[in-house]
Amino acid sequence: MSSRIHLIGLSHKTAPVEIREQFALAGWNPVAGGLVQEHGPITEAVILSTCNRVECIVVGEPSADIPNLVRQTWAAVCKQPESVLAQHTYCLQGPAAITHVFSVASSLDSMVLGEPQILGQLKAAYRQAVEAHATRVILNRLFHKAFSTAKRVRTETAIAASAVSISSAAVDLARKIFADLAQHSALLIGAGEMAELAATHLLAAGVRRMAVVNRTLSRAQELAQRFGGEAHPFDALPQALLAADIVITSTGSPTVILTANQLNEIMRARRHRPLFLIDIAVPRDIDPDANALDNVYLYDIDDLSEVVEENRASRQHEAEKARCIIEEEVSAFLRWMDELHLQPTIVALLDQGERIARKELRKSIRQLGPNPDPHTVAILERLAHSICHKIYHAPIAYLKRRSQEEGSAERFIHQARRMFQLDGDIPPEDAHSDRKRQD
Amino acid sequence: MLAWTWFELGIALAYLAGSVLYPLSLILRHPPFKKAAHAAAALGFALHSMDLLAASVLETNLLEQGQFYVSLLGWSCVLLFFLAWWRFRHDFLALIAAPLALLFFVGSMAIHPATAIVPERWSILWFGFHVGAIFLALALLALACGAGVGYIVLERTIKSKRKIPPALQELPALDTLDQVNALAVTVGFPLYTLSMLAGFVWAAFTWKRVLTADPKEIVSLGIWALYAILFHQRLALGWRGRKPAKMAIAIFLLSLASLVFINFLLPTHHSLAPIHP
Repeated sequence: MSSRIHLIGLSHKTAPVEIREQFALAGWNPVAGGLVQEHGPITEAVILSTCNRVECIVVGEPSADIPNLVRQTWAAVCKQPESVLAQHTYCLQGPAAITHVFSVASSLDSMVLGEPQILGQLKAAYRQAVEAHATRVILNRLFHKAFSTAKRVRTETAIAASAVSISSAAVDLARKIFADLAQHSALLIGAGEMAELAATHLLAAGVRRMAVVNRTLSRAQELAQRFGGEAHPFDALPQALLAADIVITSTGSPTVILTANQLNEIMRARRHRPLFLIDIAVPRDIDPDANALDNVYLYDIDDLSEVVEENRASRQHEAEKARCIIEEEVSAFLRWMDELHLQPTIVALLDQGERIARKELRKSIRQLGPNPDPHTVAILERLAHSICHKIYHAPIAYLKRRSQEEGSAERFIHQARRMFQLDGDIPPEDAHSDRKRQD
Repeated sequence: MLAWTWFELGIALAYLAGSVLYPLSLILRHPPFKKAAHAAAALGFALHSMDLLAASVLETNLLEQGQFYVSLLGWSCVLLFFLAWWRFRHDFLALIAAPLALLFFVGSMAIHPATAIVPERWSILWFGFHVGAIFLALALLALACGAGVGYIVLERTIKSKRKIPPALQELPALDTLDQVNALAVTVGFPLYTLSMLAGFVWAAFTWKRVLTADPKEIVSLGIWALYAILFHQRLALGWRGRKPAKMAIAIFLLSLASLVFINFLLPTHHSLAPIHP
């Protein structure tokens, strides 16, 4: 009678990237693909396909073997053997499936705990499903609740509050030093993969300009062109340090290129405007004592790594809090599901009452004669309707209460439907003939 | 002004709610508390404004009451914090405004009949200017003090390279906190200076002397000198960050100590202390 939520999927936890690639379902339309059909066993579906996970979230009849059905279609779409798929997929249903969707949305199941992209991907997947008319009342509600749960997790826990990569840790620190990065420019000294990555992150975070200084001017020009900034020869470093507020250094120099004394002079010339130095080079490019200067903030690669490590640990800790929030939201959703199952029964009960009231009303009005007084008719109508509503109130309230109890909803709904003969299964006249005979 | 009434208790409770809810929202990471804290502070401010307005209409000898001045000082603080919040768009300032307002307001309620000296009618303008300017300067210093504490704590955390704890994550950037200091120095110092000048002019009219060797006068001149040093270092030498933050904290604390010890405990014509029968 009641539909169930199923989740069939594979992720970075169960399948290597080669398998995930083979079974990607990006852009696949479950309605056009025949998985969701008007009167088929599967009535709703959302397909999430990212580089780290492929998951089919479907609503189906309890009688059908939904996981098998989904896997068969999925393997056929990807033109791969179903046996391979079966090895790597997990099948969840009911509360476990709901918990999983909420955890994925809140980024608790991600490779990097708390990363923000997954929520956007999930929203896109849901939008696609809506456009394909593959969702109805249950998945609509499930996804809206997943998004609001993710928002709750984000605001009530610090799961995404801290950076977990060197570059983003540097950007976070820059934001704590400078109010508005768009007002400040950066300088890249030297080159190297990690330094360039940090520069890219800073530009993405809104830094106004990125100048480049390098011992080989041609290399500087090449990098400057990439970052849309200007290149300076190495001799112009002191001047470049006057203009920039954020400096990333990554040269191969065996000795320091900036001493604390030099920086002290530069700070005076800068009129003490704050200077954030990110020293990614090994051996270090900047004298560590520079950190003691007022308004100079010096972080080397180890400092940043340490921040990142601490942040990773604290995300794990925050994840525990997030799980409690998810648990709460899942039980609220389950309550809603139970009431949803109850809804048709409530409607049927009230319909039945209305029908009886109207029938009896017609009889009584006929007895009032050919031209009944409209006032009397109105009073009779009100009487009939209010008796019907009051009689049905108690059983409906009882059903609502019982449906809150886990697992008992279906049994009570079933009994109520039989008791009030809502499905038309009137017992035959001779059903209890033996008892009548005893009387 | 009236003694403790339900209305005034309401003001104090609103400020108290603001003072407690904001730190709670940071500790418990519960955003609705922050909204409630803002609402409570705004409610306290609105009630406080009504209270002051009612007092100025109803009371005839308002200017003789020390209570009025301390309450006005608390009100000026909240006003300025709201202006600064509007300018810098940062919740952090609310963290300092509510407790300060609570302190001054409850302080004002502790004073009853007092002996503030009322000026002659024709020098009332100088007197008003003297009081108004100094209260604005003090409120700006309070702002700089709060921002300065935030700056020093955050700066120390960043320099120590420790992870920034969640409660400090809520602080604005160092740059913003320093801008608050700049505002307090560039606007507050001229106000302080003007207030002193107005005070001297008033003294010249009232006592026919510019300097009266009043303890408040002497201490205020000392504080003014410190403020002048901060003003010069910031504007001429380009001081930024920790040093001006520390100095602003020191100047505000000195002013506060001078308010408590001199205005209430010492014989001075700035006295706000109650009359002893």
